[in-house]
Amino acid sequence: MRLIDDLKKYNEYTIYSAKAELKSEVVTSYLDWIWWILEPLLTMVIYVIVFGYIFKSSEPNFPVFLFIGIIMWNFFSKVINSSTTLVKSNRGIISKVYLPKYLLLVSNMYKNGYKLLFGLLVELVMMVVFRVKISPCILMAIPIFAVFFLFCFAVSTILLHFGVYVNDLSYVVSILLKFVMYLTGVFYSIENRIPGTAGMILERCNPVAFLISSMRKVMIYREMPSLLWLGIWFVFSVILSVIGIRLIYKNENSYVKVI
Amino acid sequence: MTAIEVKDLVISYRPLNNVSIQKDLFRRKKKSKPFIAVNHVSFEVEQGEILGLIGRNGSGKSTILKAIAGVFTPDSGTIDLKGQSVALLSIGVGFKPEMTGRENIYIAGLLLGFSKAAIREKEEAIVEFAEIGDFIDMPVKTYSSGMYSKLAFAITAMLETDIILIDEVLSVGDERFKKKSYEKMKELINSRERTVVVVSHSLSTLKELCSRVLWLNDGEIVKIGDTDEILEEYQKYMRK
Repeated sequence: MRLIDDLKKYNEYTIYSAKAELKSEVVTSYLDWIWWILEPLLTMVIYVIVFGYIFKSSEPNFPVFLFIGIIMWNFFSKVINSSTTLVKSNRGIISKVYLPKYLLLVSNMYKNGYKLLFGLLVELVMMVVFRVKISPCILMAIPIFAVFFLFCFAVSTILLHFGVYVNDLSYVVSILLKFVMYLTGVFYSIENRIPGTAGMILERCNPVAFLISSMRKVMIYREMPSLLWLGIWFVFSVILSVIGIRLIYKNENSYVKVI
Repeated sequence: MTAIEVKDLVISYRPLNNVSIQKDLFRRKKKSKPFIAVNHVSFEVEQGEILGLIGRNGSGKSTILKAIAGVFTPDSGTIDLKGQSVALLSIGVGFKPEMTGRENIYIAGLLLGFSKAAIREKEEAIVEFAEIGDFIDMPVKTYSSGMYSKLAFAITAMLETDIILIDEVLSVGDERFKKKSYEKMKELINSRERTVVVVSHSLSTLKELCSRVLWLNDGEIVKIGDTDEILEEYQKYMRK
């Protein structure tokens, strides 16, 4: 398949480009990569104060609960947000050499994935500090992450394509993201706060909410996620990715003419 | 042996394709007519040959170069490069502005299909040729336009691809660098195996470098043939 060939062929490029971008991001700040940890940590502290103490809507192991939600949401929103402008911001490169355009996305995901990895390490440390008991369920974190990445990729391919033609898509997306964030339960548990069918629907039909809450279940609460829904979102993401990649392959040549 | 085979090439642009939601909602969509930049063009370039492209602005010269470089595929027709590597050298080339010059060398190299090891070998030569000193480890956005094009030239000149496409960059940097890059360019393109396509408005440059010239007008071939002959006719035409 052409996708696999291209991924292999440009593997070195996507990794190098992600690395270089990470480097250029930190090189101008004093605290360097520490910001990647500090940013979600501070967000967590704010949420603990606001929602744990002021709104009294804490959960067991609240900081650990919040942190995993924050880093996963950060990954999702950053990847989605940048995908609409990705082609335009790489104008210099794609008007000079051929490059399968979704690789810009892959590289961007590597970059944000690296930050996510840092966050995960912090999460593990926090789990030790808060004496979170774990069970073999935690192994489910791997397939959950797999579906999570696939879903992010799938949505981004579609946005990447339309972002080239629709100038104000990036505004629409960033507002939508804000809205979705409140529905995703980054700082509360949908299950506990919105009981009944409404909560069920909110959690199951929003893949990000579902994946974040599943991740919390397996990491903190020693519960299994719904395998059925994990499977459903997996299949959904695969189909959407195929559509997205086809769309990009078919149209990528006219991108250069538009931007 | 043929190095580049262009057959019945058609490339069109759709100029009004860029929409904004506001405009789309409040205005009826105008039907945009595609602008045909290259219209049924066929030609061949032999290996080791230097082909010049001339024509007025907007006659489709750069579009053809970009199509050969693979930046966009043709609407119809084919371009066969016989599996050779190709690099496009043009003004304002593709750099990532936040990254350092050195990183951009790797990015450009990797995209041109070189391995990391191969680039590492050439890295010093590129840095030396570009003559931008310590700026090589600074973000490219801090460069002056001269430094920018010097680095771009050095990358393409040192990472030697089988086919080089040159878009109007034979005058890069200050007088001295101009001379040096011109010499290097001559050395590169005079090598037996390397195939070169040059776009230039400078008739003297074309006269000196090219073995054949292709004259384009409004996306169509006017004439292709011996350099002196075509240039003379072209000059006559332009004086009219």
